Amino acid sequence: MCDTCGCGLPEEAKNHAHEHDHDPGHTHREEAVLYRNLLAANEAQARENREHLMEHGVLAVNLMSSPGAGKTSLIEAVVDSLSGKLRVGVIEGDLATDRDAERIRALGLPVWQITTGSTCHLDAAMVHEALHRLPLDSIDLLFVENVGNLVCPGLYDLGCHLNGVLLSVTEGDDKVAKYPVIFRYAQFFCITKSDLLPYVSFDSSKPQREARILKGDLKTFSLSAKGGEGVEAFLSYLLAERHALSS
Amino acid sequence: MPPPGRDMHEWSLACELVREAEIEARRRSALRVHAVKASVGVLTGVVPELLQRAYEMARQGTCLEEAPLEIEVEAVRARCPQCGREVTLHSPALVCPDCSSLGLEILGGDGIFLASLELEVAEAAGGNHV
Ligand SMILES: Nc1nc2c(ncn2[C@@H]2O[C@H](COP(=O)(O)OP(=O)(O)OP(=O)(O)O)[C@@H](O)[C@H]2O)c(=O)[nH]1
Ligand SMILES: [Mg+2]
Ligand SMILES: [Zn+2]
Ligand SMILES: [Zn+2]
Repeated sequence: MCDTCGCGLPEEAKNHAHEHDHDPGHTHREEAVLYRNLLAANEAQARENREHLMEHGVLAVNLMSSPGAGKTSLIEAVVDSLSGKLRVGVIEGDLATDRDAERIRALGLPVWQITTGSTCHLDAAMVHEALHRLPLDSIDLLFVENVGNLVCPGLYDLGCHLNGVLLSVTEGDDKVAKYPVIFRYAQFFCITKSDLLPYVSFDSSKPQREARILKGDLKTFSLSAKGGEGVEAFLSYLLAERHALSS
Repeated sequence: MPPPGRDMHEWSLACELVREAEIEARRRSALRVHAVKASVGVLTGVVPELLQRAYEMARQGTCLEEAPLEIEVEAVRARCPQCGREVTLHSPALVCPDCSSLGLEILGGDGIFLASLELEVAEAAGGNHV
């Protein structure tokens, strides 16, 4: 930092030699009122991602839930019942391992793994990077499996066409009101592991009702990736959305 | 509070805050940054203490090293479609305090902003080269 001239910004100090010897003269304090949106850069990147996906005719679906609610299992179940009707690709967000990516690779699908380290959510820049690693022209439906978390993924638009929240019946039926941000951000809501309903006390009508109140046009599904119940209905929804994209 | 290491939600926001503040200070040819103010909406789920801690790490090596961060928490402002009232909420539970209706229309408190900067600037064009 240059005390003489007061060019106190280290970035700049590096960039110019101090051959000048001007007098800084009188200075004063001033308040700069800005209210600059700190999510704007992410939002701009998300818009770019959306355009990029559109150009390639890819329907992108962001899956969000707390850890273990069944995101990867749902992708597997959908791929299974699609039986080739759409070509699927996957972006996997994971804190540390590539286990989920391995599961997708085992299905013979293109997958790109984003290891987020300690970051608790994916952002649009990470997805952008991943989009350039995938063969988008041979993908119709792209799943983006977000990091297991019900809070911040709702703040970071990824540029996907659809954002969905999964809630498994073992997590309790009181979660919707507790995590309003993510439900308001979503277009669909899946109650997962419905095959376990006989073993837990979970009133499916409660989260469905609460979610619809938070977001009037939220599509809701109840399904089991294990038994397959409800997967067809979810699949029809995806097919219709994919169809709407190309028409 | 989330366990340490998972607080990176605030970390990325702190990095963005520092980046924006630096750009603005430079654009205004500031000689010093005295203070930074951020505004955090209750609906963002951002924890002010975590943002504060993340800011202290993120500002290292920047022109904000001497500039404390003040965080103002912005309550949720919403309109109830049932009773029509405009309400202020201090938690993210979107329930009308008057009629317990849920489908509130959000008017504010769902964003995060670099609110303001307190800068030292030159009176005249004299020292203007930052
Ligand atoms: N009974 C039952 N178990 C399920 C179902 N779906 C997933 N599971 C089980 O739940 C556990 C977690 O499933 P995953 O699909 O790995 O969940 P995830 O959301 O991808 O988990 P993370 O990526 O680690 O956050 C696994 O043991 C699955 O076998 C289901 O429909 N029924
Ligand atoms: Mg998974
Ligand atoms: Zn986060
Ligand atoms: Zn009301």
